[in-house]
Amino acid sequence: MRVIVCVTQIVDPEIPPSEFRLNAERTAAAEGIGQLVMSIFDENAVEVALQLRERMLEREPVEIIALTVGPPSAADVLRKALSLRADRAILISSEGGPVLDGVVVASLLKAAVARLHPVDLVLCGRETGDWHGGQVGPFLAEALGWACVTFVSRIEVIEGGFLMRRQSDEGWEIVWARRPAVATITNDETNVPRLPKVRDTMLAARAPIPVWTIPELVGEAAELWGTSGRLQVRELAIPSTSKACEWIEGETVQEKAARLVQALRERRIL
Amino acid sequence: MRAILVVLPASEIGRSERETIGAARALATAFDGEVNVALIGPAAESAIERREGAGRTPEVSANARTFLIAHPMLRGYAPELYVSALEQLLATVRPDVILFPGRTIALEIAPRLAYRLGAAMVTDVIGLRAEEGAVVITKPVYGGKAHAMLVASRPPVVVCVRPRAFDPIEGEIIEGDVTWIEVALDPSSEQVRLLERIREESATGTALEEARIIVSGGRGVGGPEGFRLLEELARWLGGAVGASRAACDAGWVPASWQIGQTGKKVAPDLYIAVGISGASQHVVGISGAKCVVAINTDSRAPIFKVADLGIVEAYENLVPILIEEVKRLRAVEKA
Repeated sequence: MRVIVCVTQIVDPEIPPSEFRLNAERTAAAEGIGQLVMSIFDENAVEVALQLRERMLEREPVEIIALTVGPPSAADVLRKALSLRADRAILISSEGGPVLDGVVVASLLKAAVARLHPVDLVLCGRETGDWHGGQVGPFLAEALGWACVTFVSRIEVIEGGFLMRRQSDEGWEIVWARRPAVATITNDETNVPRLPKVRDTMLAARAPIPVWTIPELVGEAAELWGTSGRLQVRELAIPSTSKACEWIEGETVQEKAARLVQALRERRIL
Repeated sequence: MRAILVVLPASEIGRSERETIGAARALATAFDGEVNVALIGPAAESAIERREGAGRTPEVSANARTFLIAHPMLRGYAPELYVSALEQLLATVRPDVILFPGRTIALEIAPRLAYRLGAAMVTDVIGLRAEEGAVVITKPVYGGKAHAMLVASRPPVVVCVRPRAFDPIEGEIIEGDVTWIEVALDPSSEQVRLLERIREESATGTALEEARIIVSGGRGVGGPEGFRLLEELARWLGGAVGASRAACDAGWVPASWQIGQTGKKVAPDLYIAVGISGASQHVVGISGAKCVVAINTDSRAPIFKVADLGIVEAYENLVPILIEEVKRLRAVEKA
């Protein structure tokens, strides 16, 4: 069984707001403001794939392939996936290509899935940690005509399909999905990303990463170019969020609690 | 004249649905446009049963048209059938803007529909305005550290609105010219099927998204026992209990309690953050809170930067006394 995990490189989502800057065009984050890391839910997606392989150990070999669409620097997130023991990784180079909107990325992934045939399962993070789009997974499922389940945290393999634990607004759902399928992964207590072993990190640093180019995958597909630019980024703005914190102090804990209640009553909240 | 379509895949009409219509009406006013509402699934089915809107022709109607799409196969989680049904509706109705609420089911259906329509798509939308005939869409990016303004170059554009970002409408949902839409669904095309639904009740019986007051705990709470204390405080305040990603990942509380970029986005009147450091991904989920109280032992914790009121104290000491204070207040109010 072949599982593809789609991963994305983003600027560290945990950099403090005080260090966040925009680029000169005000269309994205400035380069170099933080480390480039694997997008948060993609880490959960890798973990879900690893757990699936571990549970399938006795039943069926599972091959995990990490894929990313991005510039050469994005190879770092593939190495991260390899250090966690993905079997192999492929970089789809976006150099010289159109703007990477959701449709373009989904089209490239679709072509990669065809090239890696037969693929049984594709996992994507629920949304990226920078633009929070949440579209590539459903777009890819549409492009492939495959089953699609979103907000999944755990996957079991059954005859002819999968059982997926899906987060809903009210709690959880257990959903059957036909094989092959696309699932977008959210986090919960069952898929907390593991840490790589030092030895595996060293091996991953030296592992060869094949690079597939856009013309190689889709030719000079005019349709691909035609889809981008449906949405223009006019401008990014940094909202003002800083508040002046009023400190509630007191000699004793009793005093602090009483003063807090008092402050909330003055603000007509209690 | 622009046409706006609000799509509500819902079993019942809640605050998110009312907010989505609110967003559409505000945009329609700026646009000189009309608002149409499509109710799809169980909520539409029960409306048809009750014959809501039938024979009623109000003189002033905020909706131009309401479409009710019901089918026995649209009762459970069946995203591809929902997409197929909506595709059938959109063969005859051609809106410029399609709005969905930010619920998980909508976040699955909307992008798939957008893909089929060849439409631009934006999720987590907090602002919509008309500018020289184009829609300017605002959404938080980079975990809320920036807001992006996007313009769709050609219609249609599909958006999912963020919960609590728009004012909900009061009054009727189903009004205007009400049409029941017959759809043909093919059961053999079924690719996913709902097997089981597990409801996770909130600890206090109040849903996070609806709560006026939220008491929320993070890593500093130290374990599941500490959350019992937060639950008690929340109950006395008439609120709900939430948690940071760290507390959920540790398995102390269910993932459905999670607040932040990776969980629910909330906008209560009062948010009490207990033992929460204030990671960006958490803070983005509470940006709509009117008053934030931070309780933490570390005065340098980033949560204090977004707090209105801060207390440096161990919560184990403070919260029990706070509960007594609130009890006393409630007793005084009763008397």
